[in-house]
Amino acid sequence: MLSRVADSLYWMARYIERAEHTARLIAVKLESMVEQTPEDAGASWQRVVGALTGERVSAQQDAFVITRMLAFDRDNEDSMITSLGLARDNARQVREALSNEVWEHLNRLYLRLAPVTMNSIWVHSPGRLFREALEEMHALEGVTYSTLSHGEGWYFLELGRHIERVQQLGRLLDLHFSAAQSDNGPKYFDWLVLLKFCTAFEPYTKRYTASIRPQKIAEFLLFDSEFPHSICFSVDRMTEALARVAPGAPPARRAAVERLAGRLKAAVDFGQVDELMSGGVAAFIADITRQCEQIHKALYSSYITYGAETVL
Amino acid sequence: MQQEAFANTEDFGGPDLVAGPGRTCRPGQDAPYQNYELAKAFDEMFTPEGVCRSPYAALDSRISTLPLEELNRRQQAVEQSFLHQGITFTVYSDNRATERIIPTDLLPRIVTAREWDRIERGLTQRILALNLFLRDIYTDGRVLKDGVVPRSMIYGSKHYRREMRGMPVPHGAYVNICGSDLIRNEAGDFVVLEDNLRVPSGVSYMLANRDVARRAFPAVFRSMGVRPIEHYPLELLATLRSLTPFHEDVSIAVLTPGVFNSAYFEHAFLARQMGVELVEGRDLLVNDNVVYTRTTSGLKRIDVIYRRIDDDFIDPLIFREDSSLGVPGLFNAYRAGNVMIANALGTGVADDKAVYAYVPRLIRYYLAEEPILDNVETFLCREEKSLSHVLANLDKLVVKAVGESGGYGMLVGPHATPSERAAFAEKVQADPENYIAQPTIQLSTAPTYVGNGVEARHVDLRPFILHGAETKLVPGALTRVALKRGSLVVNSSQGGGSKDTWVLSH
Repeated sequence: MLSRVADSLYWMARYIERAEHTARLIAVKLESMVEQTPEDAGASWQRVVGALTGERVSAQQDAFVITRMLAFDRDNEDSMITSLGLARDNARQVREALSNEVWEHLNRLYLRLAPVTMNSIWVHSPGRLFREALEEMHALEGVTYSTLSHGEGWYFLELGRHIERVQQLGRLLDLHFSAAQSDNGPKYFDWLVLLKFCTAFEPYTKRYTASIRPQKIAEFLLFDSEFPHSICFSVDRMTEALARVAPGAPPARRAAVERLAGRLKAAVDFGQVDELMSGGVAAFIADITRQCEQIHKALYSSYITYGAETVL
Repeated sequence: MQQEAFANTEDFGGPDLVAGPGRTCRPGQDAPYQNYELAKAFDEMFTPEGVCRSPYAALDSRISTLPLEELNRRQQAVEQSFLHQGITFTVYSDNRATERIIPTDLLPRIVTAREWDRIERGLTQRILALNLFLRDIYTDGRVLKDGVVPRSMIYGSKHYRREMRGMPVPHGAYVNICGSDLIRNEAGDFVVLEDNLRVPSGVSYMLANRDVARRAFPAVFRSMGVRPIEHYPLELLATLRSLTPFHEDVSIAVLTPGVFNSAYFEHAFLARQMGVELVEGRDLLVNDNVVYTRTTSGLKRIDVIYRRIDDDFIDPLIFREDSSLGVPGLFNAYRAGNVMIANALGTGVADDKAVYAYVPRLIRYYLAEEPILDNVETFLCREEKSLSHVLANLDKLVVKAVGESGGYGMLVGPHATPSERAAFAEKVQADPENYIAQPTIQLSTAPTYVGNGVEARHVDLRPFILHGAETKLVPGALTRVALKRGSLVVNSSQGGGSKDTWVLSH
């Protein structure tokens, strides 16, 4: 596979994952805010903005402005529409490596969302658009799964998707758990919303019943190996994918990447939630996130941007 | 997704009954032809008396019974489908990028078996002569010594590549992919307007349009014995393969300038259809005169490049050094015989509008045959007699700059204002060698769906000729349409669209 193609597939998947995550947070937030006091809703929006952009906004900022910024602001490089546009740009550059179905699904989704304005959705159930967008993005994942060969390109998509997912999930968990002890930290309702942010509410209750406790939430979202939006699940997929890409690369370059992947997997496999609860969740997540960044760099230097002179 | 786009037109993929003859809708009178004008141009569908020509009978009986809304729905479904497939080009204005589709007309243009036979023989003859000419001017220059073509015209051409002199190319085939523009004159004869010997485009539209017309008129299509064209990518692949002496493990790539190029869709389409890599300049590197692509597993050798980049940009070490689209060192790898490039470099010298005027003489010179397809009568402004004729008749002629394409740098005399003509005359006088002139030919007209009916619009015809170890034409072509009423400019950059071309098997 051409290195440039691998690069584009990787970023296409990252941007789709980012757009999906953004759409889900907005949808859940718009649906849940009606049940909160203005103060609680404000604090919760702050966490959403923090998780998605790393920015701080005032608790008085209203939902319309925040939603517009997160969803449709093309000057915001993390907005849903910016991410989808970038995903599509990357897909367009590797049309020959994608199935027609994947390309057309993504293209149609973008063309449908591109002209949407806040005013056109705000008056009547603004959450609906984001739910529809989410459905389309889930469908895209299915179309990709069932129409694209599960070869090297597919595994680059997997890598992009799961590295991005770990990053996004990490930020979200960090913002909730590092504020857990403080006065205006998350309340019962916020923990419930956190599960919904991760599509985890029902899977969680199936595992732990409806008793919503931060420690169990941490255990579930960090270490559950079966749930697709847990750190553990994503790390397993990354490790698997790394073993399948660049099959012909020289052993030394492969080893550089696989060593890092093995270390990350060990950290997650042997992590214990009891050890983390006294303020250690944030440090653990910071460590995982840093390791993902190292894997990203190693992936690039081994397979994509390597110097030609090293192989001639 | 295409299926879905058509799902609301229930008979789109199903049978649509072909009514027998009997009903006749006259152009200029009956719907849907109420605004169909038969002027002095040859019309593909109707005789001057307004009688439907026989190849169009089945299509006529179908469109004259279809409700207009149905045609409209089909037209919209097509546009939607093109947009979703990304068959678009991007227009930049006010810092905003807008994606537009190249308009496609539902109604096919029909070419009979006899007409096609002549076109096929004529273009085969022409590409043979042009390739012999290219070999000649890059080796002995016999044609120049014999005074058939003026030396200055070749050596002075900005498309003549000295670097190509004495360099052998496989099968003597310089032009492997050619798209020649034909038009049908008032007498109803096909004549050649232009040869595109550099990087002709449009073949993906030929194939996409087939999809459109076949879905729009399935039963008419089935009843008429339309020759298939879907094997074009296969033939292209065979042509590219024939350029190397190897038979197995030949590694082929399509070289594109990238996603911002207006023909990018076509580059990706052809790579996908052939199952070869689509590469950009930055994916390639040359080491020890061998071309490699950078893959995740390491470097992989490339044997044949179907380049969709102009000569000027292909190798910054030899040609334009400011080009970032090309590959440094590519030309030397080519000269060393380690990579084949299609089309060869330097072919542009032969599709120059001035050389065009000499092609009939080249056919006689190299093949000792009479040209099967005529040229359009052409005045070379470099010849004094012609120049004065051109200047005196600017209001009747089309004047074109020799090195331009895409409808730029030209004057359509009868449609220009006196001041435009005067301004152009100055340009011609200042640099007569750079201009040629041709009578304004009324390109033939073909039925085109325009929203409230079917009207006559001017069309041309671009078949694609493949030439490697053998010469092949897929029986089809891109028919370009000037969508503005009365306009003779079919270029997509200037308001042109396209439609499917049905070549009949009998």
